[in-house]
Amino acid sequence: MKRPLILSIICVIGFLWVVITFPGVFSPSVKKLGVFMPAIYGLIVAATFISFIGVWHLKRWGMELYVISFFSKMLFFVLTKSFEITSILGIAFSLWFMITYLFFYKRMDVNL
Amino acid sequence: MFASHSLLANKLRTFLSLLGITIGIFAIITVFTVTDSLENNIRGSIESLGNNVVIVEKWPWAFGGDYPWWKYMLRPTASINDLEAIQLNSKTAEASAFRVDTKKRVQYFNNMVENATISGVSADYNLVSNFEIEQGRYFTQLESDNGKNVAILGNTFQTGLFSPGENPLGKEVKMFGRKFTVIGIVKKQGESMMGNSMDNQVMIPLNFIRNILDVRAETNEPYIAVKAKAGVSNEQLKDELTGLLRSERRLQPGTEDSFALNETSVLSKGFDGLFDVIGTVGWIIGGFSILVGGFGIANIMFVSVKERTNLIGIQKSLGAKNYFILLQFLSEAVFLSLIGGLLGLLVIWIITLFAGDAFGMEIKLTLANTVLGLTISFLIGIISGFVPAYSAAQLDPVEAIRQ
Repeated sequence: MKRPLILSIICVIGFLWVVITFPGVFSPSVKKLGVFMPAIYGLIVAATFISFIGVWHLKRWGMELYVISFFSKMLFFVLTKSFEITSILGIAFSLWFMITYLFFYKRMDVNL
Repeated sequence: MFASHSLLANKLRTFLSLLGITIGIFAIITVFTVTDSLENNIRGSIESLGNNVVIVEKWPWAFGGDYPWWKYMLRPTASINDLEAIQLNSKTAEASAFRVDTKKRVQYFNNMVENATISGVSADYNLVSNFEIEQGRYFTQLESDNGKNVAILGNTFQTGLFSPGENPLGKEVKMFGRKFTVIGIVKKQGESMMGNSMDNQVMIPLNFIRNILDVRAETNEPYIAVKAKAGVSNEQLKDELTGLLRSERRLQPGTEDSFALNETSVLSKGFDGLFDVIGTVGWIIGGFSILVGGFGIANIMFVSVKERTNLIGIQKSLGAKNYFILLQFLSEAVFLSLIGGLLGLLVIWIITLFAGDAFGMEIKLTLANTVLGLTISFLIGIISGFVPAYSAAQLDPVEAIRQ
């Protein structure tokens, strides 16, 4: 199956998002949350990046990993009470990504 | 095994590719280490002033914004009359003390310390300031009231004036051309960025120094420190002090206060903003260094995959699973990145061993910053190594063997 244009756009946005947000892992605000908080948040960002690679290659694990990392991120924000107004934009994008993925999920490859 | 063999076979290439991460980790963790150390030092200095203490003086403490100095310079300095008014009438103050500073030589026989800070303090100064007496005692009420020639020395004077092992208590040191009996030594506090460490100060009774110095002269920086009673907020204390001091100074209703009531929280808040800016600048510079380092690792991993395509083909044809190939290259990238990060942390640690003496303050590579450095290295390894590793895992064995 050839990768649909919409998934390519989502993946490119996702890659750029990770490049932009990665320095946020060691931002002073995340650092203030606790010693291991940058590590936890960093793993979520890394998982999101890997999920985009999976989606780029039209793999089901990519979408599944994206959903897991999305909910992990939400849980992180709620537990650390670090929810901000800008997070709503990120949630809106993530929901759009997940809904779009659903349309192509059945046509995606189950293998690694 | 294949990964380690590849890394060892190309030592120079391995070193150059991890250098990016080393520099990135070095940049960001150095900034965090220096800002954390500065912050600890300054916060320690501010805390030594006391959190529930209000300082009455001429100039208000302020960071940025409008500062009408031309109004403040016309104000009178804090006076002993102000202190007496507070001590007589305040219901919310637990203790209050007056302090005035000057710089003079302190001499003990042929040993002398030039330009030492001599502080004239009133009786309750030990109740409003955070310091501990290591040897001896504080002034008695009688000594303070009568202005006796007794002195409490900061910790550095013990080594600066006296021989090792010599007990300074009871000895006579010379200041202002007069002799003072040493009755106490303050516990060592270490260097302070705010310059308020007691180590380099000598305390003598205010009633002695007021006969020699003009205690209202601005050059002698007179101030009154007032400590709130337990359960009384600084705001309540400031409200009462405003009323008392306005009454003492006979200020008409509607006129501006002729004094400033300063709190250490103003300093803390001012420094919070400063450290946030330094932290953010360091974070941005370090962040981009790390990203560049990550691109270096990704690049070398692509080269590594290209070089070992044939080997990957053989491994896959012998039954190696995709995840095995993936993990092989991913572990190589993470290992490279972690070694780079560890080298960066090692360089910082070595620098901190010497930098403390050079800057006159303790600079420490903390556990939090070490964990952060290793975390960043690990994550950069995963992010930069995943794409090359995944492309290696996806190779067709037949096509791979042909190359």
